[in-house]
Amino acid sequence: MKHFLRVVTQFFVFLYCKCLWRGLKFVVRRLTGRCELQRICYNNKPGARRTLKIESSMRYSKYELLQSALSIHPDKVEKTINDIMALKKINPDTNPQLGISLQASLLQIVGYRSLMAAVEKLRREPYDCENTEHENMLMKLWKELRPDTPLTGRISKQWCEIGFQGNDPKTDFRGMGLLGLQNLLYFAEHDKPTALQMLQDSLQPKHNELNNPDWEQKNPDKAIGYSFAIVGINITDLAYSLLVSGALKTHLYNVAPEMPSLQHFQQTFCYLMQEFHRFWIEEDPSDIMEFNRVRSKFHRRILRQLKNPDMALCPHFAASDLHLVNM
Amino acid sequence: MQHDLKRPHGASDVTFSGVSRRKGNKMGLLSILRKLKSTPDQEVRILLLGLDNGGKTTLLKQLASEDISHITPTQGFNIKSVQSQGFKLNVWDIGGQRKIRPYWRNYFENTDVLIYVIDSADRKRFEETGQELAELLDEEKLSGVPVLIFANKQDLLTAAPASEIAEGLNLHTIRDRMWQIQSCSALTGEGIQEGMNWVCKSVNSKKK
Repeated sequence: MKHFLRVVTQFFVFLYCKCLWRGLKFVVRRLTGRCELQRICYNNKPGARRTLKIESSMRYSKYELLQSALSIHPDKVEKTINDIMALKKINPDTNPQLGISLQASLLQIVGYRSLMAAVEKLRREPYDCENTEHENMLMKLWKELRPDTPLTGRISKQWCEIGFQGNDPKTDFRGMGLLGLQNLLYFAEHDKPTALQMLQDSLQPKHNELNNPDWEQKNPDKAIGYSFAIVGINITDLAYSLLVSGALKTHLYNVAPEMPSLQHFQQTFCYLMQEFHRFWIEEDPSDIMEFNRVRSKFHRRILRQLKNPDMALCPHFAASDLHLVNM
Repeated sequence: MQHDLKRPHGASDVTFSGVSRRKGNKMGLLSILRKLKSTPDQEVRILLLGLDNGGKTTLLKQLASEDISHITPTQGFNIKSVQSQGFKLNVWDIGGQRKIRPYWRNYFENTDVLIYVIDSADRKRFEETGQELAELLDEEKLSGVPVLIFANKQDLLTAAPASEIAEGLNLHTIRDRMWQIQSCSALTGEGIQEGMNWVCKSVNSKKK
């Protein structure tokens, strides 16, 4: 009974707040002569600040049109914005900028959804040895990372040199499928200096242990650092979960003026690789067994950063690579 | 007892056995209750080892009823606690990559049960997996620790049956510990419960 009463009270408090909120919106609308969407556009600069607010305003709108607009096809954005302007009785001639701003924001919102679908599709596509396209990508990854050493065979121990687990990388892609391979290749192609540096660092024994004279006798084959490719696949998982949880909205709404694309996601991956590498060195873990601890600490840090609506996770590309990125 | 003896023979037998059985049941129930009360969750340390791509992490996630659709190769280790049959199973899943195998020994101490996972479809590496297992069984810190071998990936058509693997690994020569081989598929969950039942059973009999 007590519990029941509490639920009823909560329900009425909720109703009361809702009425109060609606009433407040009504009053502000009368006073300023602008609807909520207009106010958001006028008071917030373009990017995540504006788009995140528009997204939540539309989600909690009482109009079916605004709620469903969040999941429309990108081609229908223009028409939907016109419908919304008509519904809200906003004159496009007196507010020429509003339609454009709303359209950009809505494109970002629906673009995020379609990016999620595209990434999910790639992730679900398993690596297939029979597929020449997949095989070519894998071979290309080798050539990018080991330009001076030819691969002795498709199945080879050499794969361990770039941080795969065994002599056939196929099994390492697992739950990340083609997404893992594409990310690694993008990183190696577009941010080669960092990728090669990371790879080299990952193969080196840890610096402070090197200074230790008897290190070599104690741990002859204990190459410290992590396995480059495997870490790439794990960071792909991190980027994927950031995307799916919606945490990447802040970043993507800030960097993509309209629809975020797969390229934006891949660049985010490059950023995460660069930052993770730096974080790993900072944390100075004693060995690879600490990987998951460091990884989840890094994950929490990125999540915290993304709470700031001005945050963007832009990779620092070397000037020589910039033309490749802009291509 | 005396009371029973005074009765005619035939009836006494029946009653006696009847009483004793009922008494036994009561004892069983009480002892179970007492056990549950005194040890709310007896902790069991389980070590999950095997070559890379054997399915250890999938098995771990399956045990914890978690999503198994996006698993990545394990760098380092994962740990999860699972409640099962009055036990708190602390399962340590250590990466199987060759580079990581030297670290396995850091996790041997206080292990109650060793679970060794084999990819039954990866025939090319049966020898390698057999070698690693043999080395584990020779470890002093793991002496006498019951070992469960999961012949995993039985959902694949090319998977070798558990009996063939047992023969290939010469499991019948193990004399110094309890062992069991269980065919399973970490992907579908088939066979895992049976294996874990054996784990709990072997922990129980070891404690006695």
